[in-house]
Amino acid sequence: MSQALNPAALMDNADTHSGVSNAKLGVWLFLASEIMLFATLFTSYIVLRMGSTSWPWGWDVLNVPLATLNTVILITSSVTIVMAYAKAYDKDKSGFQRWMAATILLSFGFLVVKAFEYGAEFKLGIGPHTSIFYAIYFTMTGLHGIHILGGIALNGGLLYMSSVDEHWKNPLFLGRVEGAGLYWHFVDIVWIFLFPALYLL
Amino acid sequence: MSKTPNVSHDEHRPNVALYVKVFAALMVLTMVTVIISKVHLPRPQAIGLGIFVALVKASLVGALFMHLWGENKLIHNALWITVGCAAILIIPMIDCVLVLHQATSPMAVADQHPPHHEGGHESTEPIKLDAPKKAGH
Repeated sequence: MSQALNPAALMDNADTHSGVSNAKLGVWLFLASEIMLFATLFTSYIVLRMGSTSWPWGWDVLNVPLATLNTVILITSSVTIVMAYAKAYDKDKSGFQRWMAATILLSFGFLVVKAFEYGAEFKLGIGPHTSIFYAIYFTMTGLHGIHILGGIALNGGLLYMSSVDEHWKNPLFLGRVEGAGLYWHFVDIVWIFLFPALYLL
Repeated sequence: MSKTPNVSHDEHRPNVALYVKVFAALMVLTMVTVIISKVHLPRPQAIGLGIFVALVKASLVGALFMHLWGENKLIHNALWITVGCAAILIIPMIDCVLVLHQATSPMAVADQHPPHHEGGHESTEPIKLDAPKKAGH
């Protein structure tokens, strides 16, 4: 029987011939589509900004200290998730759970800070309808926030799975953690560009 | 259960000491980005510097946290194709930025709105780029 038709081989989740696992290649292709999604938004941002007669300075119209705090939170969470990966690599279950829980807490922290920021703006009657600047600001930060929610769900799922021996001992578990980490770092990179583009420059 | 060893995991043995150094570098660069925006550089220079620092930060995260440094060629190729596609979107915008920048430069605005010579009086009002254009001007 050829390997392609062998159910056992299919169960193996065999690597691609280049040595990259299917799951990892899938995550990277998903991230490639995400890069294109955010590239279109950044392109729209450039067009709108250059087409406007005036463009506000972030310090005047947004809460830069809160956004800086969120940048620190997100960068810290990138470190905690990579530490979780390191612990999963070493088969240290409690270490993995501690670092992953820290990542999820930091993610919620980011959303809470963002909620304060949005809340203050809504209280002043500011919304996407206010101006072109606020329209692109709410679109980009809102989409980024949805990605944070997705990351919380993904990381929460992995934290739960680590408490079930069947999943924790599965050799594919480390690949899943790596995939979740790749996604989370991508979300961090998007914020690294959003922060100066909307708040500082 | 997988019988094939996952080569990529061995290549990417986590280096905790390196992660801590990258974390420190990212924090410093975040502060640099904030300081750049506070020192009131001319906007084009501030934007250029801000983008440069953001690119350095993103490269650190991509290369060391996402393990792109030493990653398989297949992943690199997929990413290069993506970067090429994104460039197709963004590069025409650079042209748009340059054209619009020239069109709104003080010299271009002065060319488009020559001073009036009616009755020997010339307008001495400075051109305000940010102000909306008045009807009839």
